[in-house]
Amino acid sequence: MDFDDTPDEAAWRAEVRAFLADHKDELGARTGRRDLDDETSRRRQALLYDAGYVGVTWPVEAGGRGGTPMQQAIVDQEMARAAIPGLINLIGIGMCGPTVIGHGSQDQKDRYLKRLLRADDVWCQLFSEPASGSDLAALRTRAVQDEQGDWHITGQKVWTTLAHLADYGILLTRTDPDVAKHRGLTMFVVDLKAPGVSVRPLRQMTGGAEFNEVFFDDVVIPDSERLGEVGEGWRVALTTLMSERLTLGGGGGDIGMNVERVAEHVGGRIGALPPDRQALVRQDFGRAYVATLGMRYTGYRLLTALSKGSLPGPEASAGKLAGTRAALELADLAVRLLGDDAVYGAGPDSARPDSAGPDETATWQLLQAGLPGMAIAGGTNEVLRNIIGERVLGLPPEPRADKGMTFRELAAAGA
Amino acid sequence: MDFDLSAEQRDLAAAAADFLGAGADLAAVRAALDDIETPLPVPPGRKGLVESGFATITVPEASGGGGGTVLDLAVVAEQAGRVLAGPSLVGYARAAELLSGDQARLAALADGSLAVAVHDGGPVLDAVGADQFLARVGDDIVIAAGTVSPRAAIDASRGLADVALGDAEVVLSDAAERWRRAEQVGRVVLAAEGLGAAARAVELGVAYAKERHAFGRPIGSYQAVKHALVDAYVEVEQLRSLVWWAAWTAEEEPAALPLASAAAKAAAASALERAAETLIQVHGGIGFTWEHDAHLYWRRAKVDRLLLGDEAGALDEVARIALGDLPGAERAGAER
Repeated sequence: MDFDDTPDEAAWRAEVRAFLADHKDELGARTGRRDLDDETSRRRQALLYDAGYVGVTWPVEAGGRGGTPMQQAIVDQEMARAAIPGLINLIGIGMCGPTVIGHGSQDQKDRYLKRLLRADDVWCQLFSEPASGSDLAALRTRAVQDEQGDWHITGQKVWTTLAHLADYGILLTRTDPDVAKHRGLTMFVVDLKAPGVSVRPLRQMTGGAEFNEVFFDDVVIPDSERLGEVGEGWRVALTTLMSERLTLGGGGGDIGMNVERVAEHVGGRIGALPPDRQALVRQDFGRAYVATLGMRYTGYRLLTALSKGSLPGPEASAGKLAGTRAALELADLAVRLLGDDAVYGAGPDSARPDSAGPDETATWQLLQAGLPGMAIAGGTNEVLRNIIGERVLGLPPEPRADKGMTFRELAAAGA
Repeated sequence: MDFDLSAEQRDLAAAAADFLGAGADLAAVRAALDDIETPLPVPPGRKGLVESGFATITVPEASGGGGGTVLDLAVVAEQAGRVLAGPSLVGYARAAELLSGDQARLAALADGSLAVAVHDGGPVLDAVGADQFLARVGDDIVIAAGTVSPRAAIDASRGLADVALGDAEVVLSDAAERWRRAEQVGRVVLAAEGLGAAARAVELGVAYAKERHAFGRPIGSYQAVKHALVDAYVEVEQLRSLVWWAAWTAEEEPAALPLASAAAKAAAASALERAAETLIQVHGGIGFTWEHDAHLYWRRAKVDRLLLGDEAGALDEVARIALGDLPGAERAGAER
């Protein structure tokens, strides 16, 4: 057991830290604003990619660096330390890219992967639908092949983060309704600028609009854009979901809330409170801090396992569960410390991209308002509990009412 | 970074599990509750623990101990916690710290001729069966004989009693810092025992939830039951990370021990309570009976949360350290 950097890790950390310091102005700072400035964000990621700090663990032939999970974690830590805003193409890097690497043709890999890492193209993940969220395999978007071999897509996706900025997406569709629901699926790469695709941003409870509805009206996708075999879409999607789990729950990074920032906030406010209230604040902060440490060090255990060659298993889901809980506790405390001001500040103005940026009150309010979404995105907490219960603890699954039914029968039954 | 037990530590855990699995006895823990006015030590007992070498892992080899680390001891303590073994390894861990440099007494601790407990002023952990007591008087560490008055403790496996100290001999003067460190190491070992007990409680709950049927299917298939067990499991795994980290800091990063030990102590208190209460709830009526083991874990939870400072005190310390009011947060930050 050793928490220190190895000499190689230390040299890597020093290199990354120096680069981030040297390019501080170009890389920009976190503003607390929810919406992304498309061009600035793309330029930032390109700068980082060209320096070798994006896609660190990706294979060299996929445009990556062929590095270790630990090297990637060090980049993440140093980015957080330097308060560099997150990468615009996080979904592309964390979920879409690994899916293309795992199941795409050589031609697809050549065309897409390097551009994805540079944010020349932004990607999104087109999975959820109005009638299939947690029950992803019940999705309805149809893909029908014509005589030339092209696929025609009709249907609707929803909660698609960044679709309004995206150039491409990975799209899970139904190609055969006459088999069990998860057997009739096929995955594609779709061009978001293709005729028939329309994207409508959805305003979230934060006031911002980073996620979208995406409509497909007879959109044509050539067969060369298929990812994996026809009918194998569920297996391909599992690659995406496994990568997602790691992106959201691994590595020991904070989810949604930075504990050191909350500590500063608490430190700045607590002195003005009467002693009995100070004691209560310390109880709450202590509890949230312990939860954060627990999540952080559990992330380090996972990172160690990955470094030794383990695949991200269902255990990684626990990181997201614990992380969202810690973030909720921190956000709740941070907002309550605002006192009377806590009733103000989560207005839509502060969430607009053209606003001067939120003040302190609004910053905490926005973070707080974003957290319910964190407990839903990437697998609801309830689904994650099922995964851990069934795949880690070995508890039996709930009986399924759709067992032995084809998708067509399910749809007819209104399920 | 390498945050995992070594192969040797895994072997140590397996050896401890073998020894404690054979030596500890939940039936004896239950029986001790029935005989609460004159409690008997629960197995494996001081003699067995000392002879096995597990109790004095952290005593230097030159004094007849194992020459191991607090992390080594924590690995064993987890196994002890699983089977509610007595006495606690906390007393040995603290004594090894408090007597550091005192070759003769350490040798006596390691060969079993010194049966010592640590007196903090309140109920004394493993006073039953001890004949000498380490205590703090002012800034001095002292050792004294004592009159032990056992009382009906909630958890009979903890050997709790009131102790009136006799004439004291000073072991070390101006030793406030050493006392604090020993207490922090004690918290880590207590948390490690809590980790083992909580992990075992979750396992027992999971096993029952797979077996027991209601409305035609295993109760573990119901999300209400499944999610309760998962929440307990997730908390146990977070605790495991904190216990390992805190134990590691004792030798490798002492400046972080105050924070890490307080965090582990607080996390252990709530994780074991949740696990034990979930264990009872998952079992339903049978989990509420005297014959079932569930309440033995519940009793351990209700007592341990108050030992070496309560959870509220530990949380307050965590907050003060994190806010910079107290030292001890060095290198705990995200940018390590």
